[in-house]
This record gives sequence, C-alpha cells and structure tokens, in this order.
Amino acid sequence: MNGDRSRGGSRAAALMLATLACALTTAVASLLLRVFDLSNVVMLFLLTVVLVALRWGRAAGALAALLSVASFDFFFVPPVMSFHVSDTQYIFTFALMLVVALVTGQLAARLRAEAVTATAGERRATTLARIARDLSAATVHEHIDTLCVSTIAPLFAARGALVLPNATDRVIADDTGFVDASVAQWVYDNAEGAGPGTATLSASGACYLPLVAPLRTRGVLVLLPAANTHWEPDERRLLDACCALVALALERIHFVDVARETQVRMEGEHLRNALLAAVSHDLKTPLTAISGLAETLESGNGLAAAERDVVARAIRHQIQQLQQLVSNLLDQARMQNDGVRLDRQWHSLDEIVGSALVSAHSSIGDRVVNTDIAPTLPLVELDAILFERVLVNLLDNAAKYTPSDAVIWIRAAAMGSTLYVWMDDEGPGLPADIASGALFEPFTRGTTESTISGVGLGLALCRSIVVAHGGTIWASQRAPHGARFEIRLPLGTPPVIESEPLI
Amino acid sequence: MNKPRILVVEDETDIRHFIRLALEREEMTVFEAGNVQQARIDAASRQPSLIIVDLGLPDGDGKDLIRDVRGWSQAPVIVLSARDREQEKVDALEAGADDYLVKPFGVPELVARVRALLRRSNLVAREGAEASVASFGAVRVDLATYEVSRHGEPVHLTPIEFRLVAALIRGQGKVMTYRQLLLDVWGPGYIDRPHYVRVYMANLRQKLEEDPTRPRHLVTELQVGYRLAGLA
Repeated sequence: MNGDRSRGGSRAAALMLATLACALTTAVASLLLRVFDLSNVVMLFLLTVVLVALRWGRAAGALAALLSVASFDFFFVPPVMSFHVSDTQYIFTFALMLVVALVTGQLAARLRAEAVTATAGERRATTLARIARDLSAATVHEHIDTLCVSTIAPLFAARGALVLPNATDRVIADDTGFVDASVAQWVYDNAEGAGPGTATLSASGACYLPLVAPLRTRGVLVLLPAANTHWEPDERRLLDACCALVALALERIHFVDVARETQVRMEGEHLRNALLAAVSHDLKTPLTAISGLAETLESGNGLAAAERDVVARAIRHQIQQLQQLVSNLLDQARMQNDGVRLDRQWHSLDEIVGSALVSAHSSIGDRVVNTDIAPTLPLVELDAILFERVLVNLLDNAAKYTPSDAVIWIRAAAMGSTLYVWMDDEGPGLPADIASGALFEPFTRGTTESTISGVGLGLALCRSIVVAHGGTIWASQRAPHGARFEIRLPLGTPPVIESEPLI
Repeated sequence: MNKPRILVVEDETDIRHFIRLALEREEMTVFEAGNVQQARIDAASRQPSLIIVDLGLPDGDGKDLIRDVRGWSQAPVIVLSARDREQEKVDALEAGADDYLVKPFGVPELVARVRALLRRSNLVAREGAEASVASFGAVRVDLATYEVSRHGEPVHLTPIEFRLVAALIRGQGKVMTYRQLLLDVWGPGYIDRPHYVRVYMANLRQKLEEDPTRPRHLVTELQVGYRLAGLA
C-alpha cells in the first residue's frame, strides 16, 4: 500500500537522522574531551539518545543507543580508533551505558507516543463536538447535506454525498457522479457498510456507510477518498462517530416534521369543527323557524289575513338571513379554493358603493347612510363583485350592531398612492373583549351567544378580499362612541382616457 | 286587450309553480316548459309575448334557445341566473336577452320586470318608430334636436355623453352590456376599454341624477353593464 511505503520512508529518515545525531555528538564530545573527563562525556551520549528517542521514536532511540556505545568505544576508549579495549573495566561501562541508554530512550519514546495520541484524541473530540453542534442546529435535510459534503467529507480527505430515501424507502440517486444508487440502496436496506475497509465491495472506490439511528436506518453517507488516502483505525472510529451523529440528526428532523404535520392537521381539524358547529347552528336556526312558520301557514285555518301576512314576512326575513350566510360561505370557500382569482377592472368607487347600498338595502332598513365620495376620485382597479361584498358585509355589520335609526357614513379619499375608504357608525363601538385584529378572524363574534345571527364570517371574508387586492382593513373605536372601519388600497396607475374632441 | 302570454322555461317545478302563481295573479296566461326541446315547440306554437328562461337547463344551453328565438321573434326575454355568474349574464344579454333576474329573486321584482318589458314592447309595437323625445324622472332628452334638460333647465352634454344616454334610451330600459355600449358609442376599436363607459357614466350621473351615488335612473349592473330605469 502507498501508506505503508510512505511510513517506511519516514522511519528510514528517522534512523538516518539518529545516525547523524550520533556522529554530531561524537564530534562535540571529542572537542569537550580536551576540557572534561571521559566519564562526563558519556553523559552527552546519554542526552543524545534521550533526545533522539523523544523526537523520532522507539527504533531511532535504540539505534542511537547502540551507535553511541560503539562510537564511545571506537573514538574515546583507549586504544582509540579501535574497538579493542585495553582496560576490562570499560566492558562494564559499555554494558551499563547501553542499558541506561536503551531504558531512558524507550521511556522517552513512550512519553512521546502518548503525547501524540493525546493530541490526536483531543483533535478528534474537538472535531466531533463541532460537527455535533452544527448538526444540532440543522432544521432541514439540506443543512445536514451541506454539513456532510463540506465539513465531514473534507475531514477524511474525501468527496462526500448524503443519500436519503424517499417516502417509499427508495434511495434518491443524486448527481454527484460517484454514487452507485444500487449499492446505496443495498447499504440502506441492509444497514451494512460497503466499500474499502468493509466485507462488501472492498475493491470499490467509494465507501458507503449506513446512517443507523436508534429507530431505523435514515440514509447512506457516501465518501470517495482522494487517491493515496488510507484511514487509520482511529480515523475510522471518528468516521463511525460522525455517521452516528448524522443519523441522529436525521431522525430528529424526521420527528420535527412529524410533529409539525400533526400540529397543522390538528389546527385544520379545529377550524373545521368550529366552522361546522357555527354553520350548523346558524343554518338550523333559520331553517327551524322557516319550517315552523310554514307549517303554521299550512294548517292555519283560523289564521286571520293579517296574521298570515306577519308569518309570511317572518319567513321571508329568515330566508334573507340564510341567503346572506350562504353567500358568505360560498364566497369564503371560493376565496380559499382558488387562491382567489380576481377579475380586476378599472372602476369608479361610487358606482360600487351605490351598488352595495342597493344590495344591503334590506338590512340597512331605516338607517341613514351618508356618502361622501368626490367625483374627482381616480378610477381604482378592483374585482367589483368581491369589493361590493366587502361593503355589503360592512354595512350588514354596522346594521346588526346599531339601533334602527342610526347614521352610517361612507367616505373615500385618495392620498398619495393609496385609496382610503372609511365606514363609520354610531353604534356601541367595538367589543372590549376582542382585540381589533381578532375581529377579522373567522367565527369571531362580538356579543357572545347573542341573538344576533351570523357565524362571524362576514368580516373574515372582508379581510380575505381586501388582502387579495393588496390592501389592508382594520377597525378602530370612534369618539365618543361607534366603530370605524378603514380600508386602504393601493391606487396604481389608472388607464389614460382620451379627452373628447370639443365641437 | 288580450291577456299577455308568458312562456316560463325552468326545470325546477317549484320555481315554475311560484312564477305561474305570481303572473296569473297579474292577469297573465302562463305556459310552462321544463327543457329546451319543449321550450322550442312552445315558443313557436304558443306565440308568447314574453319568455322567461333559466340558463341551466337539463338538455341544453338557455343561451342557444335565446339565439334561436331571436331569429324569428321580438318577444322580450328575461334570463334567470346565479349571483356569481357575471359572464353568463353578459353572454345571455348579448345573445339577445333583454333583462336578467338573479336567483333567489322576489315576486315583486319579477312582476315589475315583466310588466316593464311588456309595456315597452307594446309601445314599440304600437308606435312603430321610436318617439324622438324621451324622459325619465326630471330629465327630458330630445333625440332629434340634441336638447337635454333637467327640471326644465338645459343641461350641457358632450357629444359622447349624449350618444351614451341616447344608446340607453334606445335600449328601452333593457340591460346594455359594456360591449354593446362601447360598440354603439365609441366603435369597434374601443371594445376592450370598459373603463371608458364607467368614466362617462359617472359624468352623466353627476349631470342628470339627484344623488349620483344612489342613481335612480342610470342604474349600474355591476360587472355586466347599465340600464336606464324609469323611462316614461
């Protein structure tokens, strides 16, 4: 393997350097010998052995010990320049020196090895901590994908890809080019790794790692190592740890999604239930009245003509209520289903106000409606039918909550690029217990459980329509009493009307 | 004078029934048809003086029936339509219908529309050509001399305003669609500019109505067109 060769190379270099260090020590020692005693110079060799072992490891230390003893014998022990020893005492010195050199060298080498392991461990821990922190911040699959490709893969000198399954447990092949979808699928299905260093497809270039979370496999991490890269066992362990982290993050996101969907469904359910309850109440009330009144007419032999008229009028009144409710319901449903298709054309506002006054005629009754709309007001681009519905609902609303002799004002003005429409009444004003924003939520009713019918759809529909026109609507309190509804619409640029040639 | 003969084309029995009751109380003769096929036969054999047509019929489109009838009869046609079907109303009016009623409608409204259309068609039939002077409310319009007055005071109209009011008068109170008015007053080049009609109608209301926001004569039919109400 390439890795083995490079490591062999570095060991040879270490041995060379150890030899060099011994040669240097010999040279220095020969200089020192002029001043110091031979027994002191031995210490210099011991120092060299310790330093070499610390710097270049166990083997280099052992070599340095042997070379030091040999050099000491050859260059310094009489007769010099020979391995012969005249004094047998020196044999003991050599033995002692060799043992001391070997032991201290090996101790120093182990110290160094432990220091290196500790540093690597710390770096691994730091890396893992960083990845864990980044993964915990991820909220969507894309974040995790980015993290795998741009943080984890470079850590192992590889190109990376995160392969995730779709809803039917088929992995989705991506476009990175080195992922074999069938291998990824196998790894995902069997929760076993494939590629170099595993039992399956060990000759393949890319490494497929299953992302196994506590509940199930969540995906496959594919790494394509750069050439000449070999993962050490501890790198392998780091990689496994990363995979576990990614798998956990994927599982967490899955459950976040599940929770969110559940919440949305529950809210939808809640709204639907509220709608059904409100609608069925408001439909059943007039229906009960109508059916009862009709039966009265049917069997009304003894009924005087005047009484019959009263009953018939009551039926008609109930039906009008019903009609208004059904129109609002249908419009609301249409607004929600189609995402609101507006038929916008350039209209003059007073025409729509006039039309709304006719439509709301029966609910307004005897109330006086004052309008103040300047003839010079520019044309405004609206869906006339829907905007008429806004005005009708506001008029109905004002009529519902004001006495039968109340006065209602409709005013409009253009200021800057905005059209303002105000509808004021002198009724009791806004309910104190409801925030003015909540007034436009469906099923919000001013007077709780009041006898005034309506499911509170009217104002909600107003808001849907105004918002669809790019405008805003809100309600405020009038001094000393009464309510004001204000609509703001963007004016846009009205089309040019050619002026008429004068004759 | 003969009783007016009304043909009611409507597939819903209860609606047909109440229309019959309402009209018979007004001294009219009512024939009922529940589908297009029956209606074609009745329209030819009964010679109705007015036809009421529901647009949604089981065996065909009410608009086709109107076009057929218009080929050989001048009897006014009232269309029954749903509230949110503006285009359907416009199509029916352009196919030759005279007026429309939005479901659900009331008896007084129905009777008023039927009476107005009958009176107008009688007038046209009796006098042949249109009278040159028309009046509605306090307004008097002389189509021959281009003189317009309100409460006896002369009112100045621009040429287009005059053509517009004249087109409405010629419509004899029937609903005129934007397209019909644009063609009549401005010409074919202006067919896609309904805002022209709206601007000039607003001007007309300022000059001819007591309260322009609540017009009594120049009545808006939102998204459909205009009608002239109260034509004497």
